[in-house]
Amino acid sequence: MNVATKSKNFFKSIPDRIKKLPKKFAAKFAGAKEIITQGNGRVSASMIVMGLGQLLYRQWAKGFMFLFIQAAFIVYAVLTGASDLFGFFTLGTSESDAWYGVKGDNSVVMLIMGILAILIIILYVVMYIANIKDVYRTQCAIDTLKTPIGFKKEVGALLDKSFHKTALALPVIGVCVFSILPIVFMILIAFTNYGGDVVPPALVDWVGLANFGKILSLGQFAPTFFKIFGWNMLWAVLATAINYFAGLGLALLLNKKCVKGKAIWRAFPILAYAIPGFITLLGFKFMFSYGGPINYYIQQAGGEAVGFLGLDAKWTARLIGLGVNAWISIPSTMLLATGILSNINTDLYEAARVDGASAWKQFVKITLPYVLFATTPVLISQFIGNFNNFGIFYFLRGGLYADGYFLASDTDLLINWLYNMSIDNNYYSIGAAISLVIFVITSAISLAVYVLSPSYKQEETFR
Amino acid sequence: MSTAKAKVAKAKTKKVLNVLITYCILIVVAFVFFFPCLWLILASFSKSGSIYSFDGFFPTEYGLNAFDALFNDTVMYNYPRWFFNTLFIAVMSCILGTVLTILTAYCMSRFRFKSRKAMMKTTLVLGMFPSFMGTIAVYIMMTQFNLINQHWGLILIYSAQAPMGYMVQKGFFDTVPYSIDEAARIDGASNMTVFFKIILPMSKPILVYTALTAFTWPWSDFILPKMLLIDKDLYTVAVGLMSLGETEFARFAAGSIFIAIPIIVLYFCLVKYMINGMAAGAVKE
Repeated sequence: MNVATKSKNFFKSIPDRIKKLPKKFAAKFAGAKEIITQGNGRVSASMIVMGLGQLLYRQWAKGFMFLFIQAAFIVYAVLTGASDLFGFFTLGTSESDAWYGVKGDNSVVMLIMGILAILIIILYVVMYIANIKDVYRTQCAIDTLKTPIGFKKEVGALLDKSFHKTALALPVIGVCVFSILPIVFMILIAFTNYGGDVVPPALVDWVGLANFGKILSLGQFAPTFFKIFGWNMLWAVLATAINYFAGLGLALLLNKKCVKGKAIWRAFPILAYAIPGFITLLGFKFMFSYGGPINYYIQQAGGEAVGFLGLDAKWTARLIGLGVNAWISIPSTMLLATGILSNINTDLYEAARVDGASAWKQFVKITLPYVLFATTPVLISQFIGNFNNFGIFYFLRGGLYADGYFLASDTDLLINWLYNMSIDNNYYSIGAAISLVIFVITSAISLAVYVLSPSYKQEETFR
Repeated sequence: MSTAKAKVAKAKTKKVLNVLITYCILIVVAFVFFFPCLWLILASFSKSGSIYSFDGFFPTEYGLNAFDALFNDTVMYNYPRWFFNTLFIAVMSCILGTVLTILTAYCMSRFRFKSRKAMMKTTLVLGMFPSFMGTIAVYIMMTQFNLINQHWGLILIYSAQAPMGYMVQKGFFDTVPYSIDEAARIDGASNMTVFFKIILPMSKPILVYTALTAFTWPWSDFILPKMLLIDKDLYTVAVGLMSLGETEFARFAAGSIFIAIPIIVLYFCLVKYMINGMAAGAVKE
């Protein structure tokens, strides 16, 4: 039996996996129990000093490798690790005092280094367990076969049977440090009083759920939150729908038989796609600015200059935002749809034509279901991308604060509001708490859609 | 007889009308997409430079002053330097990021290991986090690692974060039939050989797609470089151009054109791969 088929049965459905969970745990403990009861002295040696058992088995390279890992970990723990971990809980005890020349603790740095220390400890525990399992495997191999697996063979296995471990090591570490650690940091910040006056050198402290209470009870946050949230949802739905259907329509139009010189027509949207987003956005800002060309023509015609993106321009600015976003995003949807359309079986259309189906009917009954089905994951990620579209209003109307909003303007999306609060105005902990709320909402929506979508359920079709 | 003829004629006019409307829409679309680009190109050739001295969309006088200033007046705005900074960062992050993303996607598609589904869901969920909130943490970490104000710091971040977006690539590898691997395995190839000798050569479209996205992201990103680069000489073009005001509009336009050209050329050369790669990554029948 190959690995794929076996695991296919294993991962077949989530309910099954949940049912199997207790059994899996039991199996894990059985494994640990077996090692403890059956393992010989050399296994115990490795439990005390990593790599010692391997050395006693004369597996020099591997033994010294594990020994080195342990030594490195101890050096790290003594030098900074232990105090880093301790700092994670206290977030600093000595406040800086310029008068007495006390340097003081930087709570935020301590929080981050504390998270890093926890990551390193997890990594060390994983290596420790691997070390014990390895020496026990050697013991079993000697008991049954009389010869342990050679070092060369084991290195070979890292390039073959467990190729994925070798290949995934670097990406996983990178993602852990530069993607997951910052997110964990941000989540934790939501439970501290970091921000406002409490920024280093002042000491930050854990405050539990106080920030979430503040969002609900303090008058300034809640109204702005709901106003922006409403507009944010509307924006995400409208922008996704416009971009999706316009992109699909454009792809269909270019797919028509009567269109000559498709490459040339396609070149224009691709041109728009290729220009870096910030250039487009700044360009459009210039275009709609007071001194910009559009106002020039309005003034030439005798009108008065309109502040399209000014402080009072609520809906014009919103519509311009939608338009500019469409200008930027439609080409990529068009490219995607072009690719997918070329994969549709043309026999379907032939059959539909023979049966006398109109062009519209063909679109609704064949094209649309197929494309929708194929692009559900893309659609979700586009929805999330639009929901968290930072650039559009940051560039078009950045830095404006409207009446009735707390540190936001009426076009700002939640993410812009977060930026204004945390980066520009130091409300770090409140910002983090709000972003946690947003995150829970968006991830619940998209995880539900994703798990229910056929693309997830039928992942294994090609196996 | 005559009714049949009329029918044919009617069908013909309908067809002509159809073609006519199609072309009308296409012309409108082309205009909408092309005009802002044309405007920027014209603006870069304006003589005065300030946006206030334009006749609407068109400069009053044409000249090459903006380009001249862009490359020769480097005391305040060292554009050539910014350009090579950006190029260096983008190329390095593109190479490293592509390698890591492709490896991740391949492993996620081909191997079945304990934490696979958990990892897939985690990355999906974490991908939804508003990313700049994390940049505070990234900034502080970079100060701790002494990588502030250095290009390698940016490269490290870009390439380390790249594997988070492995989903499209995984979708592509999912469509490569497993029987190919199996045949090679039976012939005695190791998993590494299968990957490098068989799968990679088949995956040109997705490689191009990955490399292109990994290149364009640092090429046009502004949040991270703005945060991590302090010296004006170390700026990337995005940060540098943002520091130009309305009176420097022509210079902004000229600088924009220069940074857009490499990407446009790349896209036009590789558009075929892009379409195939994107489609294959999305389709999961």
